[in-house]
Amino acid sequence: MKSLGRRAGMAGALIASSALVLAGCSTSEEPASTTSDSGSAEAAPAGPVTVKVAIDAGLEPEARDAFDERVDQFEADRPDVTIEAQEYTWTGTTFAAELAGGTLPDVFTVPYTDGRGLIEREQIADIHELVNELPYADQFNPNVAQAGQDADGNMWAIPIAAYGQGLHYNRTLFEEAGLDPDSPPTSWDEVREYADTIAEATGEAGYAQMTSSNTGGWILTTLAYAMGGRTESADTTMPTLDDPAVKEALEYLQDLRWEDDSMGANFLYDWGTINQDFAAGRIGMYVSGGGNYGNLVTQNAMVPDDYGLTVLPLEGEDPGVLGGGTLAVVNPKADEATQAASVAWIDFYYMAKLADEEQAKANAEVAASLDQPVGAPELPVFDRELYDQSREWIADYINVPVEQMAPYTDAIFDQQLVGEPKTATQEVYAMLDSVVQSVLTDEAADIDALLADAQTQAEGIYASAE
Amino acid sequence: MSTSSTTTERDPIPSGHEGTDSAHGADAPAGLAPQVPAERGLATASAPRRAWVAWLNAPGRWASSGGLSTLIFLMPLLLSFGLFSWWPIVRSAIMSVQNTNLVDEPTFVGLENFQQVLSDPLLGTAVLNTLYFAALALVLGYPVPLAAAVLMSEVRKAKGLYSALAYLPVVIPPVVSVLLWKFFYDASPTGVFNTVLGWVGIDPQPWLQSADSAMPSLVLYATWAAAGGTIIIYLAAVIGVPTELYDAAEVDGAGIWRKVWHVTMPQLRGILLVTFILQIIGTAQVFLEPYLFTNGGPANSTLTVLLLIYRYAFENSLGGDYGAATALSLMLAGVLAVFSAIYFRITRSWSTS
Amino acid sequence: MTYNASNGGALKARMLRTGPDKNQKAAGANDRGIVSQADWRRPRVRWSMRISHGLLLASLFLVGLGPLLWLGKAAVTPTQDTLREPLSLWPNGIDLENLVTAWTRVEIDRYFFNTVALAFGVWLVSIVVATTGGYALSVLRPAYRKVVIGLVMATLFVPAVVLLVPLYLTILNPPLVGTSMINTFWAVWLPAGANAFNVLLVMRFFDSLPREVFEAARMDGAGPFRMFWSVVLPMSKPILGVVSIFAIIGAWKDFLWPLLVLPDPAMQPLSVRLPALQKFIELDVFLAALAISTIIPVVLFLVFQRMFLRGAGLGGAVKG
Repeated sequence: MKSLGRRAGMAGALIASSALVLAGCSTSEEPASTTSDSGSAEAAPAGPVTVKVAIDAGLEPEARDAFDERVDQFEADRPDVTIEAQEYTWTGTTFAAELAGGTLPDVFTVPYTDGRGLIEREQIADIHELVNELPYADQFNPNVAQAGQDADGNMWAIPIAAYGQGLHYNRTLFEEAGLDPDSPPTSWDEVREYADTIAEATGEAGYAQMTSSNTGGWILTTLAYAMGGRTESADTTMPTLDDPAVKEALEYLQDLRWEDDSMGANFLYDWGTINQDFAAGRIGMYVSGGGNYGNLVTQNAMVPDDYGLTVLPLEGEDPGVLGGGTLAVVNPKADEATQAASVAWIDFYYMAKLADEEQAKANAEVAASLDQPVGAPELPVFDRELYDQSREWIADYINVPVEQMAPYTDAIFDQQLVGEPKTATQEVYAMLDSVVQSVLTDEAADIDALLADAQTQAEGIYASAE
Repeated sequence: MSTSSTTTERDPIPSGHEGTDSAHGADAPAGLAPQVPAERGLATASAPRRAWVAWLNAPGRWASSGGLSTLIFLMPLLLSFGLFSWWPIVRSAIMSVQNTNLVDEPTFVGLENFQQVLSDPLLGTAVLNTLYFAALALVLGYPVPLAAAVLMSEVRKAKGLYSALAYLPVVIPPVVSVLLWKFFYDASPTGVFNTVLGWVGIDPQPWLQSADSAMPSLVLYATWAAAGGTIIIYLAAVIGVPTELYDAAEVDGAGIWRKVWHVTMPQLRGILLVTFILQIIGTAQVFLEPYLFTNGGPANSTLTVLLLIYRYAFENSLGGDYGAATALSLMLAGVLAVFSAIYFRITRSWSTS
Repeated sequence: MTYNASNGGALKARMLRTGPDKNQKAAGANDRGIVSQADWRRPRVRWSMRISHGLLLASLFLVGLGPLLWLGKAAVTPTQDTLREPLSLWPNGIDLENLVTAWTRVEIDRYFFNTVALAFGVWLVSIVVATTGGYALSVLRPAYRKVVIGLVMATLFVPAVVLLVPLYLTILNPPLVGTSMINTFWAVWLPAGANAFNVLLVMRFFDSLPREVFEAARMDGAGPFRMFWSVVLPMSKPILGVVSIFAIIGAWKDFLWPLLVLPDPAMQPLSVRLPALQKFIELDVFLAALAISTIIPVVLFLVFQRMFLRGAGLGGAVKG
């Protein structure tokens, strides 16, 4: 007990001292800038530090070049830090083992839904003192900031991106089916009608839906929100899968699948495979995060002209669009110097392009020069004003077909954004996967029975998560 | 061995640990007279005890008489089995009564893990699915290779070509063939299998995309992947039937069919029983197919026991539940040990007959 | 009626031998099978046999070779053609670029070499453990051999799955070594040694070697090490071939274990990497990658066909 207390005390002192140094530096820079320029950390002490940072798996060489160039820029500013890229995609499933096995990178990203659990179990580093030194620490959109904070409001994880669900559609398939790609559906009935038309005319899936690797629960929840329901009580202590909107969503899918037969032939999609098939022109419409364009183009060779994006229709009482995002977190096993350097990297790589004009331009320029998509829609991590400003900064470099995304970008800010369920989110999603799969693969599926059973199971999951 | 190879592709565990299936092939028969299972094996060692006593009394003599060099030769075996087989087995038993999360010290929880697993509603599904897989695998995978082997044994020219073609699927890396078949199983009308069905006027099938047809689709693949090995075993056995028996049967006026039924089949009885048991042991551990084809879907219709174990341990974002995983593993092991014991009894009774 | 051979026992004894004897050849020496010469002379039998053999051969071609040929075709076909007309032969021409892309851009070469390195290490470890262990147990015969054999055989009773979690934790935190072996090839190489099948196979082969040879070597003053190296090993080529083939093929096929212990993509073999790659790369390049990963085992099989099939038959003989 004694030694433990002492160790904690020392760690506290170290954090404080490095924070002091950081603070000292930034005061020596021009003050009052809202930016987080990397320069602020320039003179940070400590010997050479190597920071292992996660990059997406399977990047195209151009995307990797863009990343490497950013690394060079950072290292030029911070000669004491070496950045090492490690291909890593966070998966809850193997995280505990990877943490124990020491194979995690120092900096990696996790979805909002998992931030809370990681913070509670202290499986990520508590970097809030370092975060508080960042110039924009108090400018986060409060809804977003919450995702990375502990119960006391300390930020352990830095929100780097936010999304709202959207309806992606294939403009070419729309045209082939005689539909106007510039006026996408605005109600769920229209979605159904359009899906049927596309399926009839082209033989491809009019509307497809993810059902595997927890995405089944994710999209079902999205539909339930959009139809005016919620899947968790407001105090987050109880699942509410008996909400009529959940049933409505499943019945909707059942109609598309069995009455219209407009959902194609694959009912085991996950995020990767549905993007792949959508990019290959085999899907008319599907629901996913609004920022998918980058993945579709860089990893799945989608033809940009095919792409269209609109908002989800919102119906019923108090509907909302499901939103989420990504947090940057630091490995709890990283030592103090590495943690400081990690936060500096997060600041430089993820945040500066959102908050600092010069960095935003530099980043966009690199990406554009390598034909990487610039300007795909996102939701603001900071306030709306800063977001609009940042869009202006990079206006010259935007190379994505913004007009084709206008139905989304014009309307998304008027939609009520609702966060994902907070308790044992992924476990409940996983359990719901099989509910959605049942409805899509078994014509005789009894939705009431499935949902009653799901509710019971979810109550069990909630009980054991407490 | 070929059963080993038949089961190897299903066998998710490293080649070093395919224990059960492949391994059974080698040991069984002759005079090694298994005094297994392990626990009993330790107890029966009276001869060794004498040796130990001798060694304790005169270590010098033991070393000079070659005891030391023997030990040196045994070292690789003792180390690898000790570290990577014996110790993990013991540890598995320990972990099944512990709560381990890799972060805190493990705590003793008694039979809680077993209770937890037994009350998991998915366990019943997984067990039934696994039994279903095993049953289908027998229905599909048993008669076809046998018939093929009997027919092949009569081939007079280019016998090697037949064997090579039959065995080819066995040598394709299973991951490759699963991913390939996953594409073949595309349920749209332009899918490979559906195109072929279309030629003969059959409607497109949902294959993996329906709870009813997903499991049969997995079994169809598994049979394709494994049949070659089984054919080669049966072929060796059919060829090994003493020809005098046929001569004798012909003296009694037996035709070809009667020879097959009354001479060949009875002679194959033993090996048929063995492949039967080995197949049960292999299919009980089916993992690769449901993991890669369907990840247990649609609607858990292909969730198998091993996939459930894998999920307990490695697919839980609240942290791996290693206690539940090992508890379920041990229960599965208990069931399989019964089959293994039957297998040993059979093969042993032959070697003593 | 059932014909039970009076010499059944002898037959079994012969078949049970895993030693170097050529039981297939012995059995095949007698030039007849189920169908007698007299049967063959009957046209109806001859024709029905020919037809059924023809059908069998055709279906074996279709089933055994068909998927491989299709994969070969798809590897050089553009994605859209493969999707829309999977069974047409190049409606829009051949695209050899796929293979190049798969090898270079997708870095199949790296995973390929990882696979080769893994297979080589597994082979080496398997051979070392099996030969030294088999030699000690069969030829040197220490008094405690029965205990060791019993313990080795006992592992056969334990389904592989039981080992999964504890073995993973052992690799995470190995005794003696100290540091985690995760993301190193050792994590795959070392456990490969603990294969009871290999040890017992080699041991029984050594059992079948004539003891007089050992006696003679001992008379000549050969110690246990020289005996192992100069007498036993040179006599063991057939069994080493079989063990090698199975070790290499086994390593090539292995999936779950490397998936667990090699989370770093830079270290992964093809079998682990391919399913992950499927999510990132276009279908035509992916199929080309699949084709590339199939080549080595198929070539190995075609070259060492005899040894493969003998190994397969050997298993049957052992079991029967």
